[in-house]
Amino acid sequence: MSSSSGKIGQNQEPDYSSKSLPDGYEKTEAALLPRDPYWMFVYWEITENSKKNIMKQVGEDVFEKSRGVIRVYEVDDKDNIIRSFDIPAIIDAKNWYVNVNECGKSYICEIGLITPDGRFIAIVRTNKVTLPRSGVSDVIDEKWMSVNQEFEKLLQISGVEYIGKGSLEIAKSLAQRWEMLKAVFSRVTSFGVSSFSSQSLQRQEIKEKGFWLVADCELVVYGATQSDANLYIGDRKIKLNPDGTFALRYALSDGQTNIPIKAISNDGSMERGITIKVKRETEKNGK
Amino acid sequence: MENKELGYFCLVLHDHLPFVRHPEYPDFLEEDWFFQAMCETYLPLLDVYERLSSEGIDFRVTMSLTPPLCNMMSDQLLNERFKNYIYKRIELTEKEVIRTRNTPFYKAALMYEQKFKRIRELYEDYYHGNVLNGFKKFQNAGKIEIITCCATHGFLPLQLRKEAVNAQIKIATDDYLEKFQRMPRGIWLSECAYNPGDDYFLKEYGIRFFFLETHGILYGTPRPRFGVYAPIYCPSGVAAFARDMESAHQVWSAEMGYPGDYRYREFYRDIGYDLEYEYISPYLHLDGVRRNIGIKYYKITGKVSLGEKQPYNPDDAREIAAIHAGNFMFNRERQIEYLHSFLGRKPIIVSMYDAELFGHWWYEGPMFLEYLFRKIHYDQNVIKLITPMEYLSIYPDNQIVQPSMSSWGDKGYNEVWLNGSNDWIYRHLHKATERMIDLANRFHSNTDSKIDRILKQCAREIVLAQSSDWPFLMTVGTAKIYSTRRFVMHIQRFTKLWEIINSGSIDDSYLSDIEWRDNIFPNIDWRAFSAIETMKREKQKGEK
Repeated sequence: MSSSSGKIGQNQEPDYSSKSLPDGYEKTEAALLPRDPYWMFVYWEITENSKKNIMKQVGEDVFEKSRGVIRVYEVDDKDNIIRSFDIPAIIDAKNWYVNVNECGKSYICEIGLITPDGRFIAIVRTNKVTLPRSGVSDVIDEKWMSVNQEFEKLLQISGVEYIGKGSLEIAKSLAQRWEMLKAVFSRVTSFGVSSFSSQSLQRQEIKEKGFWLVADCELVVYGATQSDANLYIGDRKIKLNPDGTFALRYALSDGQTNIPIKAISNDGSMERGITIKVKRETEKNGK
Repeated sequence: MENKELGYFCLVLHDHLPFVRHPEYPDFLEEDWFFQAMCETYLPLLDVYERLSSEGIDFRVTMSLTPPLCNMMSDQLLNERFKNYIYKRIELTEKEVIRTRNTPFYKAALMYEQKFKRIRELYEDYYHGNVLNGFKKFQNAGKIEIITCCATHGFLPLQLRKEAVNAQIKIATDDYLEKFQRMPRGIWLSECAYNPGDDYFLKEYGIRFFFLETHGILYGTPRPRFGVYAPIYCPSGVAAFARDMESAHQVWSAEMGYPGDYRYREFYRDIGYDLEYEYISPYLHLDGVRRNIGIKYYKITGKVSLGEKQPYNPDDAREIAAIHAGNFMFNRERQIEYLHSFLGRKPIIVSMYDAELFGHWWYEGPMFLEYLFRKIHYDQNVIKLITPMEYLSIYPDNQIVQPSMSSWGDKGYNEVWLNGSNDWIYRHLHKATERMIDLANRFHSNTDSKIDRILKQCAREIVLAQSSDWPFLMTVGTAKIYSTRRFVMHIQRFTKLWEIINSGSIDDSYLSDIEWRDNIFPNIDWRAFSAIETMKREKQKGEK
């Protein structure tokens, strides 16, 4: 007799934990998903066969010697490439969050390698994703014209008077949040970053005569180990993702920060350590 | 009296629970979600509708009853268990009326006794053991508009294949037809999550309108002329209504929302924890662990510890619910007068709420709604309650706007359903969906009844795995183990069936067992996943 929560899979039933699902499906493929106006999620699988083929073509040591990258293409309606940029990625991580500078555009990603001589070797390509815009459209409908001020008024009255969180403010605070993220995370890649709060940023502000600047810096620590290993950063035990990857985001204050990372194998017999030392100096100036 | 109103108020209640039904256990904790919602939300709402109708008070509510909920409401096993749940509650509340005599809790105990008896009466005598009969009755009377939702509350913007979108809509509308004997006119897209282009699938199934979060319309292209105070037509011709933030915040904002009033009932003091173990244990689950059982005798009281809460007074709470309803109406009147003064047409204010928040979290919520409807009927003529279809018949000419991708989740996009706690599911979900599409394509002209049974079960497992509830529960951290197991379970069951069908040797005992466990959508149309079906819809989009 059993009745309690979350205990569907007991002795008589199969293992229903996330680890019971396969690591991959023996097919080289990749998918891209939209998260919000500035972020996408990409996951991929690269089979041993695909890796062997690349090694055959490029060289046995290509995976050791090259850098893993995600090449992000901005594309038009007909999939023509408008521009592209690369972000560094760990091929074995098998998934990544991709940050872009411009909302409202369409993107396709390619997972690949940059060889020591600078060549890009594409391994697998994703589907196309169109991200939403993060603000009010500039396009005005002739048939349904309204005066600009009227529209502002309309935005404002959706609650601002009473609760201070109406559409305009929400629209604005959203826009500000994206602006902030854009400034802070421009071309910086991370994954597993799950919650942003602009309040947690320590703002370094310089204000004068209405002209202003806000800037801050945070630290994303990421990596991967065997999925059943125990991982520690400092004294803190870190929960690994099912595939053995991990990512943490830290506030970074001025001065020296040491990040000792330690992985201990499941049976306790093996240990690997990496310590990352970061120094931050913030200087304010202005005239 | 005719047409004096200056604008319209459209109340939308989204009623949804994930499909939770475990015949393999005699007693299952998560099934309580459904039983509690029945006692605290669905039947109390029907009770409100019954009373208003019998007194000749007109009202309008738009309610989404999601397909998983409709399937649970009409499921024999869950109904048997619910009946047992009610009888146990009546037995307990009868004992409580005696135990609490001459204590400050007596009034509350009496209230619960009457309430559970009324619920039993509605459930058995009025609706004959199926609450859908109640909702149908008020839909047929023109008081409520029942809309559907994606088949299993699947989150459409994170589906990789259009076939999956087609299947979520097709299976939902088929189920609606079966349950309500007509096609749905509106839909609630799960989590209010909209992905540009998905409206073509809605159009294909005769759906005339859906709902969007505020910025879905505000950020649309071109700029929406009336903001969120008039619907727009998507390029497909399907209408979209957006949420008004002001009325939303008035009810739910943490600082000033109504449900926080000190006279309302406190959710976290429950006799499941407060009473002597021997006395209360027959009403707990078989594992004997103390949990909430839905009978609570304290009021919110103020910012004090749970131990210092004061006894709940039902009369005070009722009075304050009436005051709050009056305040809500007053604010809507002023809002509508103001909007009317410069919009150049009668505005519509769309207030959308999770139905379970009325009654389950905010115990007095249904009472608040009853007072609101009464006051709107008797005390004013600025506002008129309306359904989306009624509004569209008054104002058939609306601006064409392409809405923006959006959802009503935290931060307004897809992050609640796609973050470090749940992003691992999509690799498996998409692979299983792709396999389902292949099966539907391969067997499209199949006539073998055994194959048909397997494919039906495959489709059930896929749609159950697609439910947005699993990644949502992983994000919020409650029921994380349960939601993970449910997701994995449906993927594994699908994969096993997929292997069986590919191997050609069909294991009947496995199939029968899974059919018995996951019995949602008895007549599911697995062909909804086929490319042929989907291409038809896509083609029409192309011709536009």
